[in-house]
Amino acid sequence: MTARTKLQGLATAAGFALALFVGGATTASAEDVTLHMAGPDWPPMRIMKDMFDKEYKPASGNKVTLDIDFIPWPDFYTRVNASLTSGEKKYNMAVSDSQWLGAFVEGGYFRKINDLIDADPDLKKAMDGMHPKVLNAYSTYPNSTPNFYGFPQFPDILVSYARKDIFCNDEEQKNFKAKYNKKLPCTGEEFDDIDWDLFGNIGEFFQRKKGDMLAGKPADDDFYGIAFQVGKGYDFSTTSVHSFVWQAGGDIWDETKAPSGHAEGQVNSDVAVKALDHMLSFIKYMPPVAKTGTMDIFKSDELFREGKVALNVDWVGLGEASLDPKTSKVSDKLIFGKAPGTKGADGKVNRSSQIGGQPFVLTTWNTDIINKEAVGFIKWWLSKDVQMEYASKGGQSAITEVYNDPKYVTLRPWNRAWASQLDDQKDMWHVPQFFDLLTQQQDQYDLAITGKQDAKTTLDNVAKYQEKLLTEAGLIK
Amino acid sequence: MTSTTAQTIPTTFTTVAPDNWKLAIVVGLVVSLLACLILPPNISFWIVGAMVAMVAMTFVVNAYHRHYYGGLLVSPAIAVLVVMNIFPLLWSLGLSFFAYQSNQQTIRFVGLANYVKILTDDLKAPENWANLTNTAMFVVLTVTAQMIVGFLLALMFAKQFPLRKYLLILVLTPMMLSVVAVGVFFSNYYDPTFGLLSYFIRLFTGEQFILMDNKAGAVAGIVFADAWMWSPFVMLLVLAGLVSVPKYLYEAAAIDRVSGWRRFWSITFPYIRGLLMLALLFRTIEAFKMADLVILLTKGGNGTMTISYHLIRIANEQNKTSEGAAISYVMLFIVIVLTNLYLYIANRRTEGA
Repeated sequence: MTARTKLQGLATAAGFALALFVGGATTASAEDVTLHMAGPDWPPMRIMKDMFDKEYKPASGNKVTLDIDFIPWPDFYTRVNASLTSGEKKYNMAVSDSQWLGAFVEGGYFRKINDLIDADPDLKKAMDGMHPKVLNAYSTYPNSTPNFYGFPQFPDILVSYARKDIFCNDEEQKNFKAKYNKKLPCTGEEFDDIDWDLFGNIGEFFQRKKGDMLAGKPADDDFYGIAFQVGKGYDFSTTSVHSFVWQAGGDIWDETKAPSGHAEGQVNSDVAVKALDHMLSFIKYMPPVAKTGTMDIFKSDELFREGKVALNVDWVGLGEASLDPKTSKVSDKLIFGKAPGTKGADGKVNRSSQIGGQPFVLTTWNTDIINKEAVGFIKWWLSKDVQMEYASKGGQSAITEVYNDPKYVTLRPWNRAWASQLDDQKDMWHVPQFFDLLTQQQDQYDLAITGKQDAKTTLDNVAKYQEKLLTEAGLIK
Repeated sequence: MTSTTAQTIPTTFTTVAPDNWKLAIVVGLVVSLLACLILPPNISFWIVGAMVAMVAMTFVVNAYHRHYYGGLLVSPAIAVLVVMNIFPLLWSLGLSFFAYQSNQQTIRFVGLANYVKILTDDLKAPENWANLTNTAMFVVLTVTAQMIVGFLLALMFAKQFPLRKYLLILVLTPMMLSVVAVGVFFSNYYDPTFGLLSYFIRLFTGEQFILMDNKAGAVAGIVFADAWMWSPFVMLLVLAGLVSVPKYLYEAAAIDRVSGWRRFWSITFPYIRGLLMLALLFRTIEAFKMADLVILLTKGGNGTMTISYHLIRIANEQNKTSEGAAISYVMLFIVIVLTNLYLYIANRRTEGA
């Protein structure tokens, strides 16, 4: 074989392969469409995938497969970020934490969906029926402008998880009343009224050593009153700090006021420092792991399910595991209420809270057919019946007509406390620098949580860093 | 032989032949330069790649004609090394002179600004410095712990005793586990509420024991986990040296009634010194890169942030690619200096001995 014939042979083979590839791709897209999606590995995603596989019939007649990469939460951001920025163009759709929007919209990865919404009356109706706070947090960039990027996938909110057997015990009720002259909450409605003062009382009251009496029996292990997220990973202390700051009347750097709004003076205002101190004052009542800076949403959930804590504030999205007797020692003794708020001077309780949950987005490299099928899937997903079924299996819906349905509150034990809190939700920044802002303040909060630094220094450091970073980015002038 | 001589007659520079590598280099350079100037980057990238391949091809053909088969046999390995290691290394070196973020589509030449920033910025430099000193602390502590434990284990396993074989397998197991498994295992082990450590200490004190709430405890926790995992590696290397010591040397020493201490320094140590040095070098380089256990056990809290983890956050999470590249080159520089210093000392010692 001469070099020439070899080359010819190679060229023929390459041409053949190319023809096969192109031909294969075109015939495939006529009938089989696979939507590649990145999503966190937790019940709200698993339920959606399950419902899709069993029930979804595309109107176009194509065969649509939803291929989800289930990624564990702690790695979720890193993995999605790596995939998007590497340019591999693997995903057609992705679940995105709301604060990622800016980074990935500016990077050119997330597709603007205004045209898709406008072109489709059903989709427009579904989006218009969305709770405005949720829609703003999950879909808009720049925040609160009519530029849409995301469809709500799972709207998550903080709620109180409490132990009925502990709180409704007569003796504990009596002792608590004697000590604090307050009624120890026992029903969901009573927990809805809870403020941080009462929350702190509960924390102090239920600190028991192994062998102390607890609800009429000796405790089999050390027992703690309260828990909420104060961990160093991802946003596991930011969520708590933001809620405390907002409730006290302070604010974080407000992206909607850019470029005239400043971080310095706002982030480290006296109100904010007091709010952070207030939050830190609860750590002594929590299980000791909080002092190590690793009390994240999973740890507090685990401690609660193992029966070590009386009252935990955590995301609804983690709730299914508490209900399941296989994963929870407290599955039959649960009460759910609103997350605690701060009582103001006027006696009103402010429950402003960091919103959780995620939208899903489309990526910019999708072909028309992919987009068409994705929109078909999303329309089906956001339709009333499907959302209702999703809620009945453990999901949530931000669509007004769904959560206002009288049946909705009966679907899951926390639903009663869920919809009523939607108005109180706020979100952190959505600017492209969010991860920089987040990791720096997480580091600083961790120093305060583990007792290395006071609240004032912490917030001064955060404010100084944010002022500099955002000025360099042109967001503060 | 005659045919070989005929083929190796140098072709003139302008001859278009598959083995004229000089011409190929010139053509490659010119075409690459033109492509970079005229075409958009995403096309010129591949043209430059094709030119590199062409030049490599002429080298291969040339070597083939000269019957230089040794070089040809090595070339695939070198090609892989260049594509997978050296090219990305140089690419990232280039990036460190630009302002580039992997999630943004703009790039701008800034010269040494990234290096200046990481070394002098009033917010960044102290952080980098603190992370670097933390890393140095981990290097010293983990490597010392591993060398001592590994060495003692090796001394023990060099002797024959019942169940030695099975015990050896058990001792080697940690090294074969995934770091993630080890990290999760130890974070449960240290947990104040659920953990075994807290449970045992509570038997004596009656209080739950919180290991990781201060720097000393957190560092001890990480160093212990790392030593648990990697001491067997040191042991394995040292053991290889110990079993290679000829028996007759010990027998001769026994006849001369040499003390155990002397026997160790004069016979055993010279045999294992090379391997000890190797273990030290490997573990030092590895310890310098420590991030995994820190992420799993403390997330960098309580003063355990290492420069590697910091780098992961800057480059992979915050997408500050250029700044990350600059930090990693400073790190690379430090590692190279340390390694050379070490090799220099090791060689001098050997010559002196």
